[in-house]
Amino acid sequence: MRANDAIAGLVLVILSIVMIALTASFPDFPGQKYGPSLFPRILGAGLIVCGGILMWNGLAARRGGAPWIEIAPWAKEPRRLATFVLVLVLLLLYIFAAETVGFIPLALLFLVTLFVWLGVRPWIAAATAIAGTFTIYWFFATLLRVPLPRGWLNSIL
Amino acid sequence: MDALLTASRLILDPYVLWVITASAAFGMFVGAMPGLTATMATALLVPVTFFMDPVPALGAIVTATAMAIFAGDIPAALLRIPGTPASAAYTDESYAMSKKGQLDLNLGVNLVFSVLGGFVGVAILIVCAPALAEVAINFSSFEYFWLALLGLTCAVFMTSDVPLKGITSLLFGLAINCIGIDPAAGYPRFTFGSVELLQGISFIPAMIGMFALSELLRGMVHADAQGAVIAQKIGNIFSGVFGVFKRYWFNFLRGSAIGVLIGALPGAGADIAAWISFAVSKRFSKEPEKFGTGHIEGIVDATSANNSALGGAWIPALVFGIPGDSITAIVIGVLYMKGMNPGPTVFLQNPQFIYAVFIIFILANILMLPLGWIAIKGGKQLLRVPRNVLLPVILMFCLVGSYAMTNSIYGVIMMVVMGLIGWLMEEHGFPIAPAILGLVLGEMLEQNFMTSMIKADGAFIMFFERPIAATLGVMTLLIWGTMLWRGIRGRPATLGEAAPAP
Repeated sequence: MRANDAIAGLVLVILSIVMIALTASFPDFPGQKYGPSLFPRILGAGLIVCGGILMWNGLAARRGGAPWIEIAPWAKEPRRLATFVLVLVLLLLYIFAAETVGFIPLALLFLVTLFVWLGVRPWIAAATAIAGTFTIYWFFATLLRVPLPRGWLNSIL
Repeated sequence: MDALLTASRLILDPYVLWVITASAAFGMFVGAMPGLTATMATALLVPVTFFMDPVPALGAIVTATAMAIFAGDIPAALLRIPGTPASAAYTDESYAMSKKGQLDLNLGVNLVFSVLGGFVGVAILIVCAPALAEVAINFSSFEYFWLALLGLTCAVFMTSDVPLKGITSLLFGLAINCIGIDPAAGYPRFTFGSVELLQGISFIPAMIGMFALSELLRGMVHADAQGAVIAQKIGNIFSGVFGVFKRYWFNFLRGSAIGVLIGALPGAGADIAAWISFAVSKRFSKEPEKFGTGHIEGIVDATSANNSALGGAWIPALVFGIPGDSITAIVIGVLYMKGMNPGPTVFLQNPQFIYAVFIIFILANILMLPLGWIAIKGGKQLLRVPRNVLLPVILMFCLVGSYAMTNSIYGVIMMVVMGLIGWLMEEHGFPIAPAILGLVLGEMLEQNFMTSMIKADGAFIMFFERPIAATLGVMTLLIWGTMLWRGIRGRPATLGEAAPAP
């Protein structure tokens, strides 16, 4: 999916205005002309100029017949689009559930789901998921002592 | 001399040698797999090297990237798919040679000239870096401000066909770098009360997101596209390589020189070096009509250039703390985390680290010959590793790696958010490299800018009073002027299709 440059430009301009507005609350230090708000304001001004030109170009392209939003060829194939969404859902699931469920069960679910969806034969998917999960766990949690969330398996590990 | 001995002792430790060998194999694998890049290899290595001492950590990155850039040539020859973007410039030429039955010669030339190009890169690095460091030791905030700005300007100039999008990307990177404690006054900015944002955008998860996750998202969608390996048998790859050297030694030198130069320019790395040296080769060739039909000449130039660019990129990185490409951008992030602020003072205080980097570079290029031979011999098997198994495992590795950087889910959130931003940016034709450079150099730029502003107290002329500062300043302004002029002279409004580099 690709939005017209005008939309990208508009988003940039809005974000920059918000950024500059936020700098209004930054303190000034007595006797000091240049405070923490100076640099972000310069950047914000630059981004507004860039966003403005992008909008200009985008609108010109729009008049030339370019669509507001162009769907990439792969996104028109339902299966590929579903893969994309599935990866995003799994990532979100990992972020929200990691602390409670723990790394090992989530990683197994994550890998098996993706493998099977991408067409790996089920028994290979299961075996690779188990091997992958435990190798990663061993490497990071045991060898490098990263406190990967234990979650449900807290009492066992 | 003392430092050189210390450095050798640091490297000749069995553990370090083991790390180097293991990362060499890792780099070969990642480079040879289409869709996994050398930068991605670095981003994936960082969570692991984070737990090591500086020398093995640097050794792992230097070795893995050198191998990956060479290994990218293998699928180019066998599959017509570049393993890393650095091989894209001559993929068609390479594959055409394979089809003509010159697969062995092609792979041999790629391997030998990658090694030789790497040596040229490291030789120039060894000669230039200490000399430049001696000059840089006298720099004040004005010089550093201009240097950082010039570096960022180059990044825009080099990486983007649509300068406007490059500048936007750069400003965006600088803007998100403002999150956290500001470097001049220590005031927390844009943290919205979050304790985690106080330390700013965590750099490594952001890198993993932008370089690995966004690439994986693309790859996963096309996981079924495996490509068909050419059926030829691989024989003696070294026969005939010497003949090529005798005939095209000048191309090799020219390609390597261009590679070092492009590598040393901030923002542009091995991929652009290969494109440019290939174009130069064709332009000045005595038989340009043979290009495109499977002709070895351009490959000699470009395959030397992309490996020499790696060494070149370390010159500004070590001397000024300004990354020459996206790989050294990550390296600089790692150095900061390890409390070694890259810059000329490292040459004085910790010269053994500098020498260690030199020695590792040499070792890596020596190691490339046997390992590259093995990778070529096993290339067909390597390319049969199914992508639908590989990609999910790497994705899992990214998740755990970014978790390990903060020891909290915050790292993962950062990785996913930056990955999605990176993906969206690329979809819309905004180059990622300038944003990354902005993220790396933002603090240096702002700190030196603020210091200079306070010193100058509104008198802008002070930015140009010291001779080197003035030179750098004028150069920066000239490049900006050129870009503006090119912009005003009008290119047709586009939807933002970023054409491939020159």
